Amino acid sequence: MRFSQNWLAEWVDHGWDQATLVHRLTMAGLEVEAVEDLGAGLDQVRVGVIETCDQHPNADRLSLCTVDAGEGGSRSIVCGATNMGPGDKVAVAVPGAVLPNGMTIKKSKLRGETSEGMLCSTAELGMAEEAEGILILPSEAPVGTPLADYLNLPDAVVELDLTPNRGDCLSIAGIAREVAALADKPLMGPPLAPVQPAGTPRREVRLEAGADCPRYLGRVVEGVDAGGETPLWLSERLRRCGVRPVSLLVDITNYVMLELGQPLHAFDNDRLSGDVRVRHAADGEPVTLLDGSSAELEAGTLVIADDAGVQAVAGVMGGADTAVDEGTTNVFLEAAYFRPGAVAGRARKLGQHTDASHRYERGVDPHLAVIAMERATALLTELAGGTPGPVTEAVAEADLPERPEIPFRPARADARLGTELGPEAMGDAFRRLNLETEEEGEEWQVVPPPYRFDLALEADLIEEVARLHGYDRLPAERMIGPMEPHAGSETDVQDRPLRQLLVGRGFREVITYSFVDPDTVARLDPSAEPLPLANPLSREQSVMRPDLFAGLLETAAANQARQNERLRLFELGRVFPRVDGAILQRDAIGGLVAGPLDPPHWAGERRGADFFDVKGDVEALLARAGASGAAFERAEHPALHPGQSARITLDGVHAGWLGTLHPGLAEPLEVTGPPVLFQLDLAPVRDQASEVPQYRPVSRLPMTRRDLAVVVSEAVTAAELTRVVAAYADDIEADLDLMDWRIFDVYTGEGVAAGHKSVGLALTLQPRDQTPTDDRIEAVVAGLVERLAGELGAQLRG
Amino acid sequence: MQEELDAIRARAEAEIDAAGDLDTLEQLRVGYLGKKGELTNLLKQVGQLEPEARKAAGQAVNAAKEAVQQRLEARREELARVELDRRLQAERVDVSLPGRDAEVGNLHPVTRMLERIEDLFVAMGFEVDQGPEIEDAFHNFEALNIPEDHPARMMHDTFYFDDHWLLRTHTSPVQIRVMAEREPPLRTIAPGRVFRCDSDVTHTPMFHQVEGLVVDEGVTFAHLKGLMQDFLQRLFERDDLPVRFRPSYFPFTEPSAEVDIGCVLCEGVGCRVCKHTGWLEVLGAGLIHPNVFGHVGVDAERYSGLAFGMGVERLAMLRYGVDDLRLFFENDVRFLAQFQAG
Repeated sequence: MRFSQNWLAEWVDHGWDQATLVHRLTMAGLEVEAVEDLGAGLDQVRVGVIETCDQHPNADRLSLCTVDAGEGGSRSIVCGATNMGPGDKVAVAVPGAVLPNGMTIKKSKLRGETSEGMLCSTAELGMAEEAEGILILPSEAPVGTPLADYLNLPDAVVELDLTPNRGDCLSIAGIAREVAALADKPLMGPPLAPVQPAGTPRREVRLEAGADCPRYLGRVVEGVDAGGETPLWLSERLRRCGVRPVSLLVDITNYVMLELGQPLHAFDNDRLSGDVRVRHAADGEPVTLLDGSSAELEAGTLVIADDAGVQAVAGVMGGADTAVDEGTTNVFLEAAYFRPGAVAGRARKLGQHTDASHRYERGVDPHLAVIAMERATALLTELAGGTPGPVTEAVAEADLPERPEIPFRPARADARLGTELGPEAMGDAFRRLNLETEEEGEEWQVVPPPYRFDLALEADLIEEVARLHGYDRLPAERMIGPMEPHAGSETDVQDRPLRQLLVGRGFREVITYSFVDPDTVARLDPSAEPLPLANPLSREQSVMRPDLFAGLLETAAANQARQNERLRLFELGRVFPRVDGAILQRDAIGGLVAGPLDPPHWAGERRGADFFDVKGDVEALLARAGASGAAFERAEHPALHPGQSARITLDGVHAGWLGTLHPGLAEPLEVTGPPVLFQLDLAPVRDQASEVPQYRPVSRLPMTRRDLAVVVSEAVTAAELTRVVAAYADDIEADLDLMDWRIFDVYTGEGVAAGHKSVGLALTLQPRDQTPTDDRIEAVVAGLVERLAGELGAQLRG
Repeated sequence: MQEELDAIRARAEAEIDAAGDLDTLEQLRVGYLGKKGELTNLLKQVGQLEPEARKAAGQAVNAAKEAVQQRLEARREELARVELDRRLQAERVDVSLPGRDAEVGNLHPVTRMLERIEDLFVAMGFEVDQGPEIEDAFHNFEALNIPEDHPARMMHDTFYFDDHWLLRTHTSPVQIRVMAEREPPLRTIAPGRVFRCDSDVTHTPMFHQVEGLVVDEGVTFAHLKGLMQDFLQRLFERDDLPVRFRPSYFPFTEPSAEVDIGCVLCEGVGCRVCKHTGWLEVLGAGLIHPNVFGHVGVDAERYSGLAFGMGVERLAMLRYGVDDLRLFFENDVRFLAQFQAG
């Protein structure tokens, strides 16, 4: 809502300067978005009258005028416009003027003729974005008057960012009411007396939509001159309130809407046939709106219809068929109360958001239509002539909104606010806000004015008390409360240590959009069936990500395009996979590594990061999370290199993927490397409850280390080997622990038969109570070799 | 014999002093003091002397052995020192060369700010709760006192899946779930991703919020003011940071407030970021609306509650001086790397 500060001043004498007005409005919940000062730069601009206007002798496109600007003489002015003639009143900028658009006016010679000023357009005066021709002022404009005075300048446009509960402030009258309450000053305003009907024409109104329209006023005004000019004072007020002047009749209805808050509509009475019916539309009923758009209405849409069909969508927009134009002579004026719920959502469904629907959705005072009808009639007859007929008022009293009687406890208000304002201050606040209050006992009865649709509960009244007192004057206090400990379990898998682990390993965290490109998803996993948004912003962001890969790869591509080659990225966030047909919401942590493993370094050679580098990161993550039952199994994923991809399981439960991006996808996804990716689902990681560590005695005896090299078939995996070793470790008698085993070498080539590989195992044996003999150690190692031979066909390498 | 002894000793000492390395020194030790060494031999000859001469001669030879032995030790120490010096010299490194594997990554600045906010509230006794990002209309709107077709729904440009499911437009539905599941007293915050179908210079279709609530007997608007003031002043680490409450409207709180801080960029003088007002809007807050309590079965007569919500990106932009919201989701590593320290 934009309003003119001068216009407001006619309604309430608040006595504040602009800064105070802005501050008080903002602090009352009517947030001031912007203030635009008008009228600066018009010091040297006066009303003048053109005496002569001739063709410039040396230029086809210029005119040479003499202008009387009330200075006791004439000025000669060269002008490029063509829309003026002798006798026209114009805005004359004299030398020395610096116009709002920055132009400095100087006496000069144009093609040999002296020009002692400029005739201004509305654009040059800062009154419009652009203009054709110069501003022609009304003929009664007094010559010599400073233009600023004539245009009621200086003024300021104040722009409010109103919250949806304050529909009552969508008018000058409404803002003035609020300011009057804040300043505790009386409300003024123009006289709003009923207009005596001078004619008899009338059109019947039938209410057929029950509670959706309990009040509808119509009035026929005959013999208007719709082609007349809108007076400058009126069009200026519209303009300063952000409404574009259109034509005299429309401007008048808009003016009353801005002034009082009541949307009005003017029909061309000659284009209406039969009674006006306020009814619900049938399904698919057609209408062509004022802006030329056509719509087939949903059943139940509230409309204004006549015998020919729908002529307006109630509270949203009038129809094209019955619209007024410059040839209109007889007008049917509408002022109605439409229930907010009957208008809400309709405009949006029609793709329209109008000044009328904006107000009706938020609630218009159901009594205002009567007053606004008289105001509009008075302005209409004054500015466009015509004979007003009597008002036809159709009312369904029972359906008019009831004014709630709200119980209010002053003591409760103080308790909720943490204040000691007391009943007197609260009663005073209600009086200033025009709330009818029965102040009896501990529980009052309060009836809000009919324009306050936002007041229904005690809590709403408590806010009014706080607002009038001023939020900035309310106390601030620290809470006290029970100190209940909320810490989770020591063994919970928290996100933070997982993040920090990756950060410590050189990863940078990214946050990518939860919605991704369906084409990318289809490339990465054609069976994913991601969940589509019904109203995406773009195709690239139209499905919910089933995993973290699409976002990570897109981030990698964007970074590589900017020469950021070495990438270690991770993201922790929610993914939305489809499992057995249903979409799940799961937390996951995923990463991408591309480019050289390390930054350039003076010692050592650089190499590209590979599968096992990233597997190490994943293993570290699992170790940090206390997930002991993890296994990596060869498995194929459509996004991953079939020979370098692993399914991660935790005690047999699927927990994620690790692998090199399928080389065939690098080019379509515009990534190089190809990168290595992983994703770990956090639900199974969190479910795999680790236990609180329990101490076991540490042996003081020296450990024994033995290295072993065995030859096995190439098909035997490291996982199988270590599984056998682990089982053997469990079986050793209690005098010794095989406490650690690691694969330190994998070798194929000379000395090892084709189709076989040599695997080096580093064993650590820890005696418990006494130092074992060499024979005992050798027996344990030999037992392992025997076990490996038996289960995997392993042979000790010679 | 004494003459011979003196000559050997003099020769031995000269040779020891001239020895350039430990091997030479060892050969000299063997040559003079070993089993067949010259001085050892002389000592053997002492036994063949007249008994009266034996004692003096023995003493003399032993003295010479002792002297040579000391000379050897001294020379050995000296040579070891020289050897060590040489080694130390050889092993010098340029300590200014960078170490290996020193690189660390970083949290995303939004996560960094989220963790900071969480820490501040956890320190004040709050729990941290999570909720679904794909929400139903009841939890996202109805239970929060935003009925269908309410103008406030227009303020939430909502992504829908169908009539029932949507992407949450705020983390307030988590409050509904918490209040429906747990009994007061409650102190909790809900951090997380939220979504609005709006995208321009100052809006991204996804961003992060932290919302919080306190429900207990006797919770007041004064508590809300105190809590927000403490939080914001600690967040920006300025005890004199001006914090301003002004009336506003949220369907789920009443009274409602917008909370402003004095502009941290221009110190309240007025700049482009604060639109020359000297104030920055940083969060919304209020007392929980009785209708919301009604939806979750909390007795609004017995209990009262406060609720607040803030945009994490906005706070991160102000705190870290980021001037373009969209940078957060471009994830350029040169941008991310700026948030490494701390």
